[in-house]
Amino acid sequence: MVTSNVAVAVALAYVFMLFVVAALAERGIAAGRLSFLRSPLVYTLSLSVYCTGWTFYGAVGSAVRNGLEFAAIYIGPTLLFVGWFAILRKLVRIGRLQRTTSIADFISSRYGKSNGIAMMVTLLAVMASTPYIALQLQSITVSFDALTAATDGGHPDRAITAFWVAAGLAVFTILFGTRNVDVNERHDGVVTAIAVEAIVKLAALIAVGLFVVFWVNSGPSHTFDEMPDRMLTTPDGFGPRWYALNLLSAMAILTLPRMFHVMVVENADERHLRTASWAFPLYVFLISLFVLPIAVAGLSRLPEGSNPDLFVLTLPLAEGQAGLALFAFIGGFSAATSMVIVSSIAVSTMISNHLVMPVWLYLNRDRTISSGDVRTLLLTSRRVSIISILALGLLYFRLSGGGSELAAIGLIAFAGMAQLVPALLAGIFWRGATRAGAGLGLFVGAALWAYTLLLPSFGGSFLMSEATIAQGPFGIAILSPQAFLGLDGLDPLVHALFWSMAGNVTALVAGSLFSRASELERLQGALFVDVFRHSDEGASMTLTRTATSEDLFTLAQRILGATPAYELFVAEARGQGKSSGLPDPTPGFIEALERRLAGSMGSASAHAMVSQIAGGGTISVDDLMNIADETAQILQYSQALETQSKELEDTASQLRRANERLRALSDQKDAFLSQVSHELRTPMTSVRSFADILQSTEDLTSQEARRFIGIIGQESQRLTRILDEILDLSFLESGKANWQLSQVRLADVIERARQGTAALLDQKRSTFHVEGGDLVVMADFDRLSQVFINLFSNALKYGHPEAPVITVTAQSTGDTVMIDIHDNGPGIAPEDRTRVFEKFSRLAPTDIAGSAGLGLPISREIVRNLGGDLVLTDLSPGTTFRVTLKAGGTRRS
Amino acid sequence: MSWGGQGRTDLANRALDKRRWRDFAIASPILGIFLLVSPFVTLFAGNQIFGMPLVFVYVYGIWALLILLARRIARRIDAQDNDA
Repeated sequence: MVTSNVAVAVALAYVFMLFVVAALAERGIAAGRLSFLRSPLVYTLSLSVYCTGWTFYGAVGSAVRNGLEFAAIYIGPTLLFVGWFAILRKLVRIGRLQRTTSIADFISSRYGKSNGIAMMVTLLAVMASTPYIALQLQSITVSFDALTAATDGGHPDRAITAFWVAAGLAVFTILFGTRNVDVNERHDGVVTAIAVEAIVKLAALIAVGLFVVFWVNSGPSHTFDEMPDRMLTTPDGFGPRWYALNLLSAMAILTLPRMFHVMVVENADERHLRTASWAFPLYVFLISLFVLPIAVAGLSRLPEGSNPDLFVLTLPLAEGQAGLALFAFIGGFSAATSMVIVSSIAVSTMISNHLVMPVWLYLNRDRTISSGDVRTLLLTSRRVSIISILALGLLYFRLSGGGSELAAIGLIAFAGMAQLVPALLAGIFWRGATRAGAGLGLFVGAALWAYTLLLPSFGGSFLMSEATIAQGPFGIAILSPQAFLGLDGLDPLVHALFWSMAGNVTALVAGSLFSRASELERLQGALFVDVFRHSDEGASMTLTRTATSEDLFTLAQRILGATPAYELFVAEARGQGKSSGLPDPTPGFIEALERRLAGSMGSASAHAMVSQIAGGGTISVDDLMNIADETAQILQYSQALETQSKELEDTASQLRRANERLRALSDQKDAFLSQVSHELRTPMTSVRSFADILQSTEDLTSQEARRFIGIIGQESQRLTRILDEILDLSFLESGKANWQLSQVRLADVIERARQGTAALLDQKRSTFHVEGGDLVVMADFDRLSQVFINLFSNALKYGHPEAPVITVTAQSTGDTVMIDIHDNGPGIAPEDRTRVFEKFSRLAPTDIAGSAGLGLPISREIVRNLGGDLVLTDLSPGTTFRVTLKAGGTRRS
Repeated sequence: MSWGGQGRTDLANRALDKRRWRDFAIASPILGIFLLVSPFVTLFAGNQIFGMPLVFVYVYGIWALLILLARRIARRIDAQDNDA
């Protein structure tokens, strides 16, 4: 059989082997060899810290008591890992980008690098881990007892065993777990040792299982022969407790400090998760495969009253297989020690980063930049924390007396750490979750967990009396911790899980909806929630801060050490294109430095320290836009597009209109030019021909010569007149005419026009009527006369050939005065009406008209420049032009 | 169809295929929940198969299937990433 000396010797040899493996692994990887130790396989094996001493021994006990229920502890994580793409992948990516050091760091970093949140998570982790560590110490001592009891007869002192185990673990953890201050640099030694332990515990359990199935029972079909029916289901027949345990274990594996540590912090390559997605479920599948057979065999082979929690050990012993029993003991020892090692690393990191550092920062708030070496402080506090955690576990173990109530502590710890899940998941999927909401949710959840599960678990021996557990505080039944608000008849675990989660989630959601996120929270929220969208451009979203490079360098030296800080700054300076000196303190560099520091001391402390020299900083508008909701961004983008296209459309139609006008103007210009040249050509031709005659004909009478010269003179005058008119028209059309308008009495203007056309009037037997000549208009006297002269002469030229009658009728309509000039001529043919005002258009042959055809266009331009208009109205017979002008009131004279 | 067109179709198919396997990765735990963490399990209580309790074989069988499925999905996603 196995004596305690043998057991101790084997255990010591095993521990020595672990030290050697860890040391070799660290050296090998540092030297660039043994890179296979950073493989997906080692990652998967390190995840097996999930299977602790409690599961190694306790699963069989659980199967004896509750049938298949034990499988829930493994199926929950299996489902989570099979669905790695949804949650785990995101966690690992964020953890790597943010250089997360622990679950507390992760959650606090998401919620604006809040130290308060980090402290709450740390305290919860310490509360949940201490009894859990005590449970591992217990499993080691109890299994040691069981292994050696038969030979030594009588119990060795459990406390002494536990003490030496704890001390050994502390030494190992400090040696290999606190070598680097940067938690983000992998603990290769520890991880390798954990992987070895994973293989040992799996092999041990499978060995015992195969022994039971094929040696004790001679084959799988006989294994289940003597199984009680109740073991084929769970106590409530796959009811609420089955669901609750599956959910609980899936949640716990996300947030248990040791699980988060190996899964996220120690992750060397994101792709390892893919392998782990099936390999880890396979591992737990194998480790749980023989639980039921061992339980059945133990029940039927071992004497009544044997502790089912130790069947793994006592079955081989009972069958006389001391070697196998020793192997099983080492397996359980592995399971327990690996949990304690990783847990204490994870929790000590939290304590040093989130409890010790903030206090130190507060005490040294005036001289943080210059004082002391932060690295030494961090390492020391981490080492002291490890010893404290183990001491606390040991103390708990001593005080609880190693009783059976410890067995339940595993699920209680699970439920405690599950309180972090709402804040964690909301943090990576819901941008609206705020620090206030997360803090409130954590507080309410943890309080309800403590009240409904943790305190009642002591059975009345701690803080809560038995009466309170049974009847509620002061007999108030409605507050009874196991039938809260009258919710009765549920399994206590399901009851506690329901209430704590309900309270937690409600507080988280309500707190988030009724609070506002700070800028840093919003920035971190965007970085976490949209990690896959931003990871390519990650560094571009930063707080805008300023600091001197010297201050930053001093800070980096104190936390990272002189050489790493020097290398970091030199690399950055090279990146900025500087060949010497310190790099420029760009916001991006400050951010990168803060992240690097966060890998050592957690994001909250790193942020606090950097902020002390660089200020709190603000987010630029561009970054705010960047973190705005995706739909908002799309909306904004499409709006911008819409406005742009509308503007383009407007511009296009304006251009089109302008183009049309330009074309029309160009056409007009061409027509005008050809008209002008044509008009000028006729008089020029006659001038030239008569000049030729005068020059070439020798015997010209002086009478003839005078006549020709007279014609030349007339034609020259006509030329001059045409040119004057063209100039006049272009002047008027340019709109530059700026006349001083004055009150003009119509009768005066008409009289002046009559005088101007006297020659024509006298030529014919014409009659002239004027009505309303007393009216006064606003006009330029000379210009208006010009208009009337033109109109009168037109009326005489085109009017009645023999007895022209010109009737001028003026009438006032409020602001305007309308003057109709009517003649009794043949009128203007409808098809010609539109041509009347065109330049150079004459309705009669040139000789009759005797002008260039610019009279009416000029007249109209004059009237328009006077603020009125000249139109052809439709009064037949005869022709009527209507001049509209502004009324000038009554004249004072 | 031109070479360019074919290339594009192939690319589109590959992208769709990638998406599909990622959706598989998210859907498989839902299948697992339905098969293992639901009243569905109770249908298998009671009988025996291969001399072993049916529910034991069922739970561990589905478990093993989920592992195989996850392995296949992980391999596919790995292969797609290596292609790209």
